Amino acid sequence: MTRRRPMVAAGVAAAIVVAAVLASWWLGSEVPTWWNSHLQPWARDTFRWISRNRTHHWLFVDVFTPLARAMSSMVDAVLWTLRSLRWPGLAAVVGVVAWRTGGWTAAAVSLGSLAVIGVVGYWSLTMITLAIMIVAIVVAMLIGVPLGIWSARSPRVSALLQPVLDTAQVIPAFSYLGLLTLAFGIKSPPVIAATVIYAVPPAVRITALGIRQVPVVLNEVGSSFGATPRQHLRKVQLPVARRTLLLGLNQVIMMAFGIVVIGSLLGTGDTGNEVLRGLQKLDVGKATAAGLAIVAAAVMLDRATTGQRLGRPPAHGRAIVGGGLVLAVLGALVAKLGGWAPFPTAWVVDITGSVKHASTWVQEHLRNGIPLIGGTEAISRVLVVDVLEPLRKLLTWLPWLVVVGLFAAAGWLSKGWRLAVVLVGCLAAIAAMGDVAGGGVGRNPMWDLAMDTLSQVVVAVLISLVIAVPLGILAGRSRVVHAVLRPVLDLAQVMPQFVYLVPVLFLFNAGRSAGVVACVVYAVPPGIRLTALGLREVPVTPREAAISFGATSGQELRKVQLPLAMRSVLLGINQTVLLALATVVIAALIGAGGLGLTSLGGMIKQQQNFGPGLAAGLSIVLLAVALDRLTQAWGQGGPTSSGGTNT
Amino acid sequence: MKSRRAILGTAAAVCVAGALSGVARATTPPAGSTPSPEATVAPLTTEQPLTKAKVTLAVNPWTGSAVNANIAKVVLESKLGTPVELVDIDENASWPGLDDGSIDANLEIWPSGHAADYETYITQNQSVVDLGPLGPQAKIGWYVPKFVVDAHPELATWEGFKDPALAKLFATPETGELGQFLMGDPSYVTYDEQIIKNLKLPLKYVVGGSEAALLSAIDKAVADQTPLLFQFWKPHWKQLEVPLVEVKLPDVTPECLASAKAADGNYACDYAPDNLYKAASAKLKDKNPDAWALLSNLKLTTEQQSEVAGWIDRDKMSPAAAAARFVTAHADVVAGWLAGGSTPGTTAGTTASTG
Repeated sequence: MTRRRPMVAAGVAAAIVVAAVLASWWLGSEVPTWWNSHLQPWARDTFRWISRNRTHHWLFVDVFTPLARAMSSMVDAVLWTLRSLRWPGLAAVVGVVAWRTGGWTAAAVSLGSLAVIGVVGYWSLTMITLAIMIVAIVVAMLIGVPLGIWSARSPRVSALLQPVLDTAQVIPAFSYLGLLTLAFGIKSPPVIAATVIYAVPPAVRITALGIRQVPVVLNEVGSSFGATPRQHLRKVQLPVARRTLLLGLNQVIMMAFGIVVIGSLLGTGDTGNEVLRGLQKLDVGKATAAGLAIVAAAVMLDRATTGQRLGRPPAHGRAIVGGGLVLAVLGALVAKLGGWAPFPTAWVVDITGSVKHASTWVQEHLRNGIPLIGGTEAISRVLVVDVLEPLRKLLTWLPWLVVVGLFAAAGWLSKGWRLAVVLVGCLAAIAAMGDVAGGGVGRNPMWDLAMDTLSQVVVAVLISLVIAVPLGILAGRSRVVHAVLRPVLDLAQVMPQFVYLVPVLFLFNAGRSAGVVACVVYAVPPGIRLTALGLREVPVTPREAAISFGATSGQELRKVQLPLAMRSVLLGINQTVLLALATVVIAALIGAGGLGLTSLGGMIKQQQNFGPGLAAGLSIVLLAVALDRLTQAWGQGGPTSSGGTNT
Repeated sequence: MKSRRAILGTAAAVCVAGALSGVARATTPPAGSTPSPEATVAPLTTEQPLTKAKVTLAVNPWTGSAVNANIAKVVLESKLGTPVELVDIDENASWPGLDDGSIDANLEIWPSGHAADYETYITQNQSVVDLGPLGPQAKIGWYVPKFVVDAHPELATWEGFKDPALAKLFATPETGELGQFLMGDPSYVTYDEQIIKNLKLPLKYVVGGSEAALLSAIDKAVADQTPLLFQFWKPHWKQLEVPLVEVKLPDVTPECLASAKAADGNYACDYAPDNLYKAASAKLKDKNPDAWALLSNLKLTTEQQSEVAGWIDRDKMSPAAAAARFVTAHADVVAGWLAGGSTPGTTAGTTASTG
């Protein structure tokens, strides 16, 4: 660690802030009206133009409509296959595929998940969900893997793709669902399009990562034997990167299922719609049962396809696969001829009552009357009055250029001038998003909404870390804790967020604190996971050295494990920030306001609100990029450490 | 690895085959549409085979919409030999569906929330046709639970809220000294911020963000007996469950409506009633003229719609069964629709609405 002139670095940072203060004294504390990209009127006019020309313009008649038809036919074909197999046939196919790719455990987990779909009572509807998702996942992989290979080979492509992928991954689906409906019509095609937009980024990123990770030696061996680039890719790079590619598929599946509930707004008529209906009637039981079916479908697809079976299958493998397929056909036939129900009604367990009961109990007992802390309502009050409101007031009170200056200084201190420029660019672009027409009362700049959202995200991240880091340490040090936590974390990450909005509403009241809680529930799991991972990956040698010098367990944790695991913990912070921002729209559904509420405009009253909706969605992206780059820099070291600046 | 490749290959082949067949059969309706066995219910005694062109009806996420669509389905299937598909869809997303004909009709549209859609699709594109009023009148307004008015009778009108001490009863951590005015689903038309400002009420406008947020707030207010002031509307199933009182706002005046049209920020009166209307895709008229005529003639009274909604919400009957029961019980009403006579008139869009 060569410490480079920390005094100078701090001095420059201070100078940036002073300059920002002077600039705002000159330019005023509010975003001036001339600093406006005019994105909103442009987006609104484009949207209107599309709504008026979509039924006859060639772009829609000859491009999007045939594409939509192709997608819906694919869904029809897959759905027909799933329905023709019926439950015995589908079970046999899933079992065999999972066994072949991942062995007996994978087969058991997939079959168990498949059973859950039926047991909670949503077999037929979830077949529609599955059909849509399978098509969307195949399309996402067909687009994502080649793009990933291309960007692994060309740094220029990679640099060009980066901002596109960032935007696609973070921009809330609500911001563009209206547009996709205009382009692809209703039902499954626009949902597939939205899923592809959302799920392609991890496919590209992870594929590129996998190809880049292929050891140089192997690459050189290939070329020294005179392999063509294509042979090289097929025979060397792809096989070696297989494990990473499967991780990519896993991420694509998990991201894809995140669209299901929102997608059902467009008329897919699948299980996602049941979650929405449950939410509309405040029926936690129904929402949970339907949510579980969606989770089970995701887990089933994941375990059946991304198994990491190593080496050759046993000799009798072929017999098992063949037998399974014969069983599938037989099962389908028997079920058809026997006129069996889509799923045996006797196996369906109605969990809605008990879930409702449990949720009501929680709502009644955690709200008030807990000794010392009072209950969730008291927590909610403190959060809003003493934390969120002062922070929001501070951020909106500060002249916008000062906020930009503070970010620039932080960027400079964390990594150097390049980062500072990126942060200034992001924030200045948010400021240029213009005003949002309110209820006809006063000016409502997008900047203020962004500061409102920023204050909530900061609080959500801090709370998440307070919860995640200790739990992560526990999970990292104890296998038992890890084993207990893992399924809980999986569920919290995959369960559609709409499912737990009702209890959150009852416990914390509609408002910003409820929004923050929703963000925390979603952002805590990766924090715990990455902290635990970091601790477990600390090499054994320094730990043993510490213990042999007589360090206590606590000392060893503080002096050896935590410092060495710091990078992983910082990565955890980064993920927490991004997930908190990804939840901003969901939070807006329970009263968080801010950018999330405005971004809903892409879906509701679209003719007026598409412009502000898109602008708010892009502001969320810009905020995410700024916070992402800043927190990533913390993991790499700043200008005062060896990470280095160019000055 | 071979078998994985084979599996992916098969999946891809199925998709490609499906895609090709779809492009070839250019008339294939969009998919994901096949109603699931759980959703289909045995139709009422069919008097004709279902031979006519299929009609797709939008069902928006509230009970009234399900009532109309299911009644229309029963009549179309049992009397006119027209198969009907119901699509659960967001009200905003149903407009592009009507525009391109993938949805044939939406039988309950609230004009106040869709002025811009009306302008784009009905007036300009003329791809969607206003099929005239459905019958029931809806009304958005300011509401409090009944116990609030029992304790403070002066809060039955807006003037009661001028008293800061009374308004403060509605304060929350989010609103501080001011009383909270809670708005639920942001897709509803709202003049509340303007009304609060122009009537100089010590209230703060808070957006809950969704109908669920609003409903949970009502449930909690009733459970804890804490005051709550919110935007609500009728008909709504919650009105059957919880006694709510509409707060009287200043009467609707021509100036007030003009201010709404001009969006000048001076709105300071009650909400005008919403005359619910029906809209159909222009293509339906040639595709299935009988269905077009029936949907044009279909009308329900507020009482009839509420009665059927009650069977669904209160008595937990399925919408299909409730609709069948209505059609059996009101054979005369249905016969009137089938006999026709009334021509579609445009009543929609007359309601004050700039959205």
